[in-house]
Amino acid sequence: MSDEFAQFQEAFFEEAAEHLAIVEEGLLALEQYPKDLELLAKIFRSAHSIKGASGMFGFNAVTQFTHKMETLLDLLRNGEKAVSPPIADLLLKSTDCLKALIEAVKSGGAVDDEVVQRLTAELASASGAQPPAVPQKQSVAVSPQSASQERSYLIKWTPPEWLFQRGLDPLQVLKELNGFGDLSSVTLDMSRVPDLAEIDPEKCYLSWELQLLTGKDQKTIESVFEFVHEDSTLSIEEIRSQESGVRSNAAYDSIPSITPHPSSLRPQEDGGPKPLGTILVESGVVSPAVLEQALSQQKRVGEILVEQKAVTPRQLEQALNTQRQQEAASHTKKTDTTSIRVDTAKIDKLINLVGELVITQSMLSDLGSRFEIKQLPVLLERVAQLERNTREIQERVMGIRMLPIGTAFSRFPRLVRDLSTKAGKKIQLVLSGEETELDKTVIESIGDPLTHLVRNSADHGLEPPEERLDNNKSEVGTIRLNAFHEGGSICITVEDDGRGLSRDKIIAKAIKQGLIGENEKLSDDQIWPLIFRPGFSTAEKVTDVSGRGVGMDVVKRNIEALGGTVSIKTVTGKGTTFTLKLPLTLAIIEGMTVRVGKETYIVPLLSILESIQPKAGTIKTVVGKGELINVRGTYLPMIRMYEVFILEPEYTNPMKSILLILETEGERVAVMVDEILGQQQVVIKSMEQNFRKVEGIAGATILGDGTVGFILDVRGLLEIARQGTPVSAVA
Amino acid sequence: MSKTALIVDDSPTMRQMVAFTLTNAGFTVVEAEHGKDAVNKAAAAGKMDIVVTDLNMPEMDGITLIKELRKLSAFKFTPILMLTTESALEKKQAGKEAGATGWLVKPFNPETLLKTIAKVLPA
Repeated sequence: MSDEFAQFQEAFFEEAAEHLAIVEEGLLALEQYPKDLELLAKIFRSAHSIKGASGMFGFNAVTQFTHKMETLLDLLRNGEKAVSPPIADLLLKSTDCLKALIEAVKSGGAVDDEVVQRLTAELASASGAQPPAVPQKQSVAVSPQSASQERSYLIKWTPPEWLFQRGLDPLQVLKELNGFGDLSSVTLDMSRVPDLAEIDPEKCYLSWELQLLTGKDQKTIESVFEFVHEDSTLSIEEIRSQESGVRSNAAYDSIPSITPHPSSLRPQEDGGPKPLGTILVESGVVSPAVLEQALSQQKRVGEILVEQKAVTPRQLEQALNTQRQQEAASHTKKTDTTSIRVDTAKIDKLINLVGELVITQSMLSDLGSRFEIKQLPVLLERVAQLERNTREIQERVMGIRMLPIGTAFSRFPRLVRDLSTKAGKKIQLVLSGEETELDKTVIESIGDPLTHLVRNSADHGLEPPEERLDNNKSEVGTIRLNAFHEGGSICITVEDDGRGLSRDKIIAKAIKQGLIGENEKLSDDQIWPLIFRPGFSTAEKVTDVSGRGVGMDVVKRNIEALGGTVSIKTVTGKGTTFTLKLPLTLAIIEGMTVRVGKETYIVPLLSILESIQPKAGTIKTVVGKGELINVRGTYLPMIRMYEVFILEPEYTNPMKSILLILETEGERVAVMVDEILGQQQVVIKSMEQNFRKVEGIAGATILGDGTVGFILDVRGLLEIARQGTPVSAVA
Repeated sequence: MSKTALIVDDSPTMRQMVAFTLTNAGFTVVEAEHGKDAVNKAAAAGKMDIVVTDLNMPEMDGITLIKELRKLSAFKFTPILMLTTESALEKKQAGKEAGATGWLVKPFNPETLLKTIAKVLPA
């Protein structure tokens, strides 16, 4: 491998991941359309790309394994072999193995050699080929012995007539030869040049006779003609040797016949002696199998030392551990960085915008240097322009982090295929909205929760085929994954047409776990979220199908950690839909700035339902529940911000202040503030990273005047409101 | 004036590596993702000093690309190098017939690439 290329490894891993996804997707689609040659060509190309690029980095295990896959894919692509389920299966398994191999070179993980070898053998036998012999090493090393000896060669060369048409220039050849030593005589033979009238200026009618005095060997001289010698008449003859007097004549008329050189005259291609085993095998003394077996009996240095009692097995084990750790450490170091591939068009646009920004800036500084008050309108206009520039750049920069969600979806066809085989159900997966873009971090984090949900739908949501037929449903169950933008967020739905959640079972379970009271009257919207309670779905299945109960609480926690929400819609007998609502990006939110006393807070705009000025008599204090406010017939808990954050407010009387009605996860709360200042986008700075976690605060930001403003954590506020009040009583 | 090179490969990693090597060697580089892209970019550029192309690509493969380029008068005699993997060496013949100037077997290192280019590109 070249060190200069090492910097592109990260790019390779990224590209390889994409190709693996293409291969996997393609193979799955192939099961339905086994004759789709275009699809096969696409799969082949991806495997081929992985092979080509991995070779550049010296990832030999990857290259060799991909080569085996490629061989089989090539046969399929050329129609020499038909795609059968066992072959598709083998290729899918091989894809997994390839993934592991790549992961291993990337982060130093271990690969099960046995699996690799078994699959390699299976691939070879499926391709109907014997495993080929050890590939011959290519070497262009110049033999060191001959370098000092100057020899003289007579070279006769008649290039093919179409030389120019392939972009070849005979002058280049002469120049290169001249670079090897002294081109003492150049004779041009023009005898084949026709009359001017018949001449085709694009053809080469010339021949040369050259004498070259050089320290290079014949092979090196031949390499000059690499691209033409098969089609040329070429002879290279040594005319005298100054040292040994050995006259080697390797003249040949080319086209297919390449005369092998007497090996005794030629040094070993690698410039070193062959291994003893190779010589013995070549001379027929031992068979390769015997050699192989003898080599396998070779002991490692550690074992020998233990046998000689130079070290104890324990010492050896420790030393090996140290070695492994060092290996692992050296592997992990190089994979710390993450990168992202960006469409060049996006970057071009960004550069344009930066250009505009620079112009605006220079206009402003020009204005500033000789500012008079009558120019105020101009100043304001320029500042507005600056604001436009900044906002646009901000959007574009965020856009760079945006990737289509398809990358997160791409794992599901395989998952669903495996699940359906395992559960003996027929499941059809429908994906839509794959092109919807969202933040890279969000994409990376939703993979697991989505997998939980899809698994859940396949395991618990969808009924077995017989049951579906009994219920007049199609035998094939459908799981739909859809993504779309809604306002400033992205919605991802996981929908199945299965039996739906069972209200009775959830209630029974919740009563058993003490989550709700025996006789509590609950609406559907209050019942479904119960399955997100920790331990609810794992201990016992809500639906009584066998399979793995997955922790829905984990799903919910993960989504909420991303600032998102999960909601459920279900119709008994018809199916269930989980909707994940996520922010487009984690770094910037649209916020409402509010004032309490002298402090400014930012409330996430998405959570604000409305703002009201309470009327007299709408606020009641209930023992154990704190203050409640009646908003159009519904009592909501009321929080006085100044009490929570211990501030000196302008108003302590709710009638004079403003109440923001906030909602999170279907629960509402009224928050009392002094004044609403306005709406703006804010960049979130983490509290945990810069200070410590504060209840009720999601993060901080720098405001326009340079001061720090806190961003409210609506959920945290709700928790504060709940303190001392039973959970189920919040209504 | 620096020399210009058209690099054609559907693998961005390969493209980057070739581009990196050539840029360091003083070339001005134009990249194309596949044959069609390359034909368009070649036509738009009018003229290039050298073309380095992969063979197996979507839309239009390398062999077809070489044929197409040879049809353009500005590319009739331009050196075109094809990058092949060992298994695709049989493509050498097809490449030659299409008008490829030379070839380079993957994997290669920067020095080999530059050496091969020096072989076919007049200084």
